[in-house]
Amino acid sequence: MQKGLRGLIQLVEVWKAYPNEVIALREINLKIDRGDFVFVVGPSGAGKSTLIRLLYREDVATRGQVLVHGKNVARLRHSSIPLLRRTIGVIFQDFKLLPDRSAHDNVAFALEVTEAPRREIKRRVPAVLELVGLKDRARAFPHELSGGEQQRVAIARAIVNGPSILVADEPTGNLDPDTSWGIMNLLQTLNRNGATIIMATHAKTIVNAMKKRVVAMDHGRIIRDQAQGVYAHEVN
Amino acid sequence: MRSTSLAFGVRQSLRGLRQNALMSLASALTVALSLLVAGLFGLIIINLGHLATLAERQVEVTVFLNDSLPDQGVRAVEAQLKAMPGVTQVDFVSKDEALNRLKAVFANDKDLLAEVEQQNPLYRSFEVHTDQPEHIQPTAEAAGKLNGVVKVNYKQDLIDRLFRVTRAIRVAGLVIMVVLALAMVMIISNTIRITVFARRHEIGIMKLVGATDGFIRWPFVCEGMVLGLAGAAFAAVALWAGYSWAWGAVQRGLPFIPLLPGQPLLTGLTVLIGGSGVVVGAVGSALSLRRFLRV
Repeated sequence: MQKGLRGLIQLVEVWKAYPNEVIALREINLKIDRGDFVFVVGPSGAGKSTLIRLLYREDVATRGQVLVHGKNVARLRHSSIPLLRRTIGVIFQDFKLLPDRSAHDNVAFALEVTEAPRREIKRRVPAVLELVGLKDRARAFPHELSGGEQQRVAIARAIVNGPSILVADEPTGNLDPDTSWGIMNLLQTLNRNGATIIMATHAKTIVNAMKKRVVAMDHGRIIRDQAQGVYAHEVN
Repeated sequence: MRSTSLAFGVRQSLRGLRQNALMSLASALTVALSLLVAGLFGLIIINLGHLATLAERQVEVTVFLNDSLPDQGVRAVEAQLKAMPGVTQVDFVSKDEALNRLKAVFANDKDLLAEVEQQNPLYRSFEVHTDQPEHIQPTAEAAGKLNGVVKVNYKQDLIDRLFRVTRAIRVAGLVIMVVLALAMVMIISNTIRITVFARRHEIGIMKLVGATDGFIRWPFVCEGMVLGLAGAAFAAVALWAGYSWAWGAVQRGLPFIPLLPGQPLLTGLTVLIGGSGVVVGAVGSALSLRRFLRV
């Protein structure tokens, strides 16, 4: 491997079982390098979300290792978890914006709570809003924004403190096809600017059109890992 | 913590107090009542302790002398008393002095005083102080055998009882204070839990974008401390006014009960109550956050 033995993200023999004895992940081995764009596809319940939640340590693997930046996230001290999360931007299907704050303030929130200096906040928030194409909507509140605009705000919030990894769980799940393409173009731009992107999705058209790496999952296993892949192999 | 973060925390906690105004007021008042009761107990305990100490320091053994005893005999008794082990001080009380003291206590009972004044029935006496309470009883017994002594009084029983009562009240007060403290912590914790619940999405996002636990906790702890402090302020004002009034009333009506003056007692108590309010508030809100901060 030219990029070193360890990728940016590496999962080694990872299993995840929930207390109700549901096994969400089975012997997952996965390596993602810096700058990759990876689609994680599969039916509902295949383990996509669980896989993503392990990366920013919302969940901890039952067995195996999850390495991010070469560090086993399960071994992180409790006080180091926030630092890991500052290197990973997260985007959800339901945006998770704060309804009582404007677009600008939602983005600024991520910097405020990580104790960024006021000067930085003033500088970076407008820059990021411009990047996601919402320069003119900064004062609008979430209920005044369309779904696509809300997702752009969420993306702005995820990237505002400059994470190297962006994980997205069904980011286009609530959006119509045109709006979805807008979001995908934005993600692609971010990827070209150096962000590593891992996106769980059901959006077959998008996956097939973009020709990125595809990790297909079913019943908690990786059943296919294909560079420039498609959503599903047609069984002829 | 940066000053901007400090400001952020204060802003957040004010927002919480406003959104939850009625509940906040209710819990501040509950804290106020609890601290008021605790403060009352504190005042009672401190004053009883003061009274008991005074009583102990007062006349320990009173030796009454036969009226027929000549002055020479009186001096002999005094010398013998002074020579007894543990005796530190021997004061002579004349018949006139004894009468004056009686007058002070029964100032309103003119008839009685008029009668007594005509023919003073009071004995001359020695008031004997000892260095330790254990010396009181032997001294009293020895004094009783001296020539010219009619009677010996000592108030050890009374003092013992006073100390026992003080101790009992102190224990009861302490138990009540602990119970009240727990209740206050629970009430504040419950109030903050409502704020935490109302802001759970916000907390979730804070954690997601990498805010530290300390940063997330701080506005809520701040809110709890404000509640505790507000309650403490209510309680302090009430205690201050109440005690000043009671002290004045006792001075006028029952002047022989030596209550401690308001200062520096009330200032000390206010500091203590304020501190308790802040601690109780901080502990209460930290408790309500534990579940939410666990990853």
